Amino acid sequence: MRLTLHRIRGWSPAGVALLLSGMLLTPLGAQAQSVPLAERLQLCAGCHSADGNSAIPENPNLSGLDAEYIVRQLQDFRSGARKSPVMSGIIPMIDATEFEALAAFFSKQKPRPGAAVDPKLAAQGKEIFDEGIVGSAVPACSGCHNDDGSGTEKYPRIAGQHSAYVVQQLTNFKNGARANDVKAVMRAVAKRMNEKEIRAVAEYVVTLKGAQE
Amino acid sequence: MKNAVALLVTLLLLPWQAASADMADAVKSPKGYGSKGYVWGKLLPEQVEVLRRSGDMARGKEAFRGCRGCHKADAAGVTDGTYPRLTGQHGSVVIKQVTEVRAGVRINPKMEPFSADHAVSPQEIADIAVFLEAAETTRENGKGEGDFVAKGKTLYEQGKCMKCHGINGEGKAEKAYPAIAAQHYGYLKREMDYIQRGVRGNSHPDMVRAIRHYSHRDIEAMADYLSRLPDYRQALAERKSQ
Repeated sequence: MRLTLHRIRGWSPAGVALLLSGMLLTPLGAQAQSVPLAERLQLCAGCHSADGNSAIPENPNLSGLDAEYIVRQLQDFRSGARKSPVMSGIIPMIDATEFEALAAFFSKQKPRPGAAVDPKLAAQGKEIFDEGIVGSAVPACSGCHNDDGSGTEKYPRIAGQHSAYVVQQLTNFKNGARANDVKAVMRAVAKRMNEKEIRAVAEYVVTLKGAQE
Repeated sequence: MKNAVALLVTLLLLPWQAASADMADAVKSPKGYGSKGYVWGKLLPEQVEVLRRSGDMARGKEAFRGCRGCHKADAAGVTDGTYPRLTGQHGSVVIKQVTEVRAGVRINPKMEPFSADHAVSPQEIADIAVFLEAAETTRENGKGEGDFVAKGKTLYEQGKCMKCHGINGEGKAEKAYPAIAAQHYGYLKREMDYIQRGVRGNSHPDMVRAIRHYSHRDIEAMADYLSRLPDYRQALAERKSQ
């Protein structure tokens, strides 16, 4: 597949068009208008792809995520509790009443597992994921997110998530740029990890398939 | 000048502190032992709430998921003692420790995020307590060098330790005295050291007094002895059958 500029940046032409029209139709500070789900989904698809398996590793896969988790993230983007240069531009266009339907749609999409670029690093990541790092009090990721990365009702699914995105999020948790984790659990853990350990874990997470239904 | 010396000492100790795996848990708790108004065993409102609920083993196994990142799926902890073995621990002890870590009475930065009410609700603490109390011990625990086990036994039995923790290291469920038999050596040693130094926030004042006069080697010997005791449930069952 040829990578064109808009793909690298994470914008499809449709997404850009919608985004622009959305911006034109949404004067600053005005109430977002709710639109039919199918139409709204095209806006999300610009970055996250129509089936929630984004083609761009910096943008997270949304497929198979717990609907409640997605809603909470959207609410946090809206309130500013979670910051993202991209999402903070998008979220004012979406009406809060749409969050649930959007979340329900993406939670029902079939996740597509990814592959590790560096299997050796992924093997180191598996060790951390399964056993933690005892010396620096990093708990095993599997404790909360499950052995297969499928998550629980309290902690999100991470299986198959893009490694670039996982690295970015763990780094954000580590330096406090992302602070919408409940009770600062993820910040506490990420602070105990170094950059290499973060990359290793991310390289393993992308290979996980999650619960097989 | 005095300040300058203090600053220098602090600066010299900084890298050591940062590198310590135990993180910042060896500090006096502002709400715990040694602070004004600290009374061992005085129930926190949340403890009353948890104790009032009846736990469920199946739910407890499920709720324990959030703990296994450190204590492992079999609840046997880590052999080097970084994380204690929890199998067979009295439910009352589990409830006391989780709620007191969460309330900041016992300072434990490793566990603190996972003891928050988001991680475990009062009902889940009650469930986990039931689950752990019945959990079987299937994995070998960490033991000491084995050189001073006999000395450890003497110190343990002739000192005041045995009065509360029992001849089998079984503790006392109704008083929330922990079972300490077959615990990891490293954990026993560390916690005894913390209690002696007054930095285990929810220490029993009697225990601090009882352990005060022991040397570091005495503590190692007792930890080794206790780590080599069988699971107290096994010992009690054998005693019964005799």
